[in-house]
Amino acid sequence: MQSILRTAALRVARPSRAFVARPSAVPLYRSTQIRTLVTKRYTTDHEAVVFDDATGVGIVSITDYAQSSLGDVVFVELPSLGTEVGQGDQIGAVESVKAASDIYAPVSGSVEEINETLSTEPGLLNKSPEEKGWLCKIKLSDPAELEELLTEEAYKAHCEA
Amino acid sequence: MALPPVFYHFFRPPLPYLPAWNLQDTLHRLQLQLRKSAEHKDLLLLLQHRPVYTAGRRQTDPELDSERIRLTALGADFVASSRGGQLTYHGPGQIVGYPLLDLSRYSPIMGTRDYVCRMQKTLELHLKEAHGLTLSPSEHTGVFLDPRTKIASIGVQVRHRLTSHGFAMNVTHEPRAWFDQIVACGLDDVKAGSIESATGKTVTVEDEIPGLVQRFGRLYEREMLPLDLSQANSTTEAILALEQEALEMAPSAKAPLK
Repeated sequence: MQSILRTAALRVARPSRAFVARPSAVPLYRSTQIRTLVTKRYTTDHEAVVFDDATGVGIVSITDYAQSSLGDVVFVELPSLGTEVGQGDQIGAVESVKAASDIYAPVSGSVEEINETLSTEPGLLNKSPEEKGWLCKIKLSDPAELEELLTEEAYKAHCEA
Repeated sequence: MALPPVFYHFFRPPLPYLPAWNLQDTLHRLQLQLRKSAEHKDLLLLLQHRPVYTAGRRQTDPELDSERIRLTALGADFVASSRGGQLTYHGPGQIVGYPLLDLSRYSPIMGTRDYVCRMQKTLELHLKEAHGLTLSPSEHTGVFLDPRTKIASIGVQVRHRLTSHGFAMNVTHEPRAWFDQIVACGLDDVKAGSIESATGKTVTVEDEIPGLVQRFGRLYEREMLPLDLSQANSTTEAILALEQEALEMAPSAKAPLK
């Protein structure tokens, strides 16, 4: 049985960022005036990952399309911190209308952080699936995997197909 | 209809829960594999279970330990499953349906909510058309005769757009005594209804199958064909093996042991 949310004994401190993830690779300026590249990619299973090449970390979420087809989310099952995942591995599930839909890792790496708010506010997945309802942050073991995923244009086409 | 048919099979002997779940997993893996060459088949398994209480995915082990002990003492099995939903009962007198469908066959892909909605409509339509029952609309997933009487439940799992688990509908009065031992589906003052109790007619699970299959086909817009078990392949072999296993088991308890 997939493990459920647990309080982390150790959590990595991160500077808070107020930027909105951009869909294409556009250089953004951080307060320390260093150029970073933020890339957003999508999977055919309707997960999204926002990757920051300065930190090597990808923020994983489901897409707005996914949440609308699921219905009201009542429970979110997330991986344990430190879990090593391979691209395509099951990393959790979302429960809605008595349906448990499995979610899969869009990239390989280790789980650095999970969104603890989802345990008390699973509805965030419906209200803000790609921002406040983020699922987990993965430290990518192979950033090249991002190239295999869909760009925003390709993902939109996939949804409309 | 552009989409291929759904192949259905009704198991004659009541099935033990865990082996039936393993069968679903086996068939799921087969579908995943065969989907690469578009050779996979969509299935609808119809059956009864031997008495079993099952918990849903979000119910954690510590919560369930005391329930497990209490309920197995009644003569039922107890299993924590991978489906959505909460604690419920399955047993003789109740039709259980496991549609194993590939949602990505539909264009656009059928979403989870739509899938569950059609399942609920199938059950509602069957109860209305075949038995003239009036149903009570509810915010809760499932089918209610009135706000305090639930006659059918739904609990599904979706992996890679392939579905498993499904629905359960009470046909005879037999499940009621077992349901009375628990708070099912997290709904405190709700009791289990059945077609037999609601209509006063003598009904059997077997008699319900053809109508239910036909209505499933209507709601999912698919032709329904019986699975040909004389064809030897991994799917039919797995199904026949489980049926044989179930046939060899001793009869289960007819009522909760007290």
